[in-house]
Amino acid sequence: MNLSDYEKDGVAVLEPKGKIMGGPDATILHEKLHECLEKGTKKVVIDLAKVDWMNSTGLGILISGLTTLRNNGGELKLSNVTDKIQSLLTITKLVTVFEAYDSTEEAIESF
Amino acid sequence: MKKPVIVDNTIRIPSSEDYLTDIDSFLEGILRGYGLEETVIADIAICVTELAINGIVHGNKTDQDKVVTVEINRKNSAIEVVVTDQGDGFDPDTIENPVDDKNLLKEVGRGIFIVKSLMDTTVTEKLATGTKVSITKNL
Repeated sequence: MNLSDYEKDGVAVLEPKGKIMGGPDATILHEKLHECLEKGTKKVVIDLAKVDWMNSTGLGILISGLTTLRNNGGELKLSNVTDKIQSLLTITKLVTVFEAYDSTEEAIESF
Repeated sequence: MKKPVIVDNTIRIPSSEDYLTDIDSFLEGILRGYGLEETVIADIAICVTELAINGIVHGNKTDQDKVVTVEINRKNSAIEVVVTDQGDGFDPDTIENPVDDKNLLKEVGRGIFIVKSLMDTTVTEKLATGTKVSITKNL
């Protein structure tokens, strides 16, 4: 997995690319989220458009990000959730946990 | 063993999540060779990485002197993958239901649930040394 990011209207947008399956992936995303918090950015969107798939480790990383941000008064939202990931979110009932938007623009505007 | 070893349709990795990408590349190569749809390849790769992580973390306790083995075969109209570790194993029945409301925000505990949801069969066998999990995906 590779990770790029940018900020728009006070919202950090993270763009992972590839597969999120464990190992170094968790560290990369955790470090980026903590970097956001250290900079005072508590609104984060994870754009999943370029993620081929993720396993339960990837879902755990998303949950960790969500709880970390909420515990610091922030929020994490998802955008461009692919069919494969949507299916996993549905199977695991995590659709009830995450706010997801069809586009990153919509996710940013929702804050 | 310090690095992954591939022989025919089998890959053996040391007990580290750093080698998950090696398993994924190995699987993709074989499954693409079978001409499978990308969505089926993804389902199998998701499940095999789940089982490999279980073997690395819960089975072998990340002891890099122990290995996790992944063997893949096409059997008639199904793909069978067998993942074996060399650890003491764990009882999957002790895992709490990950879709209970009280467990939804837990970061771990969904692996086997996802495997059972995406695969057609999942069979776990306790070996003299280690655990063997066989999964099949009907085509």
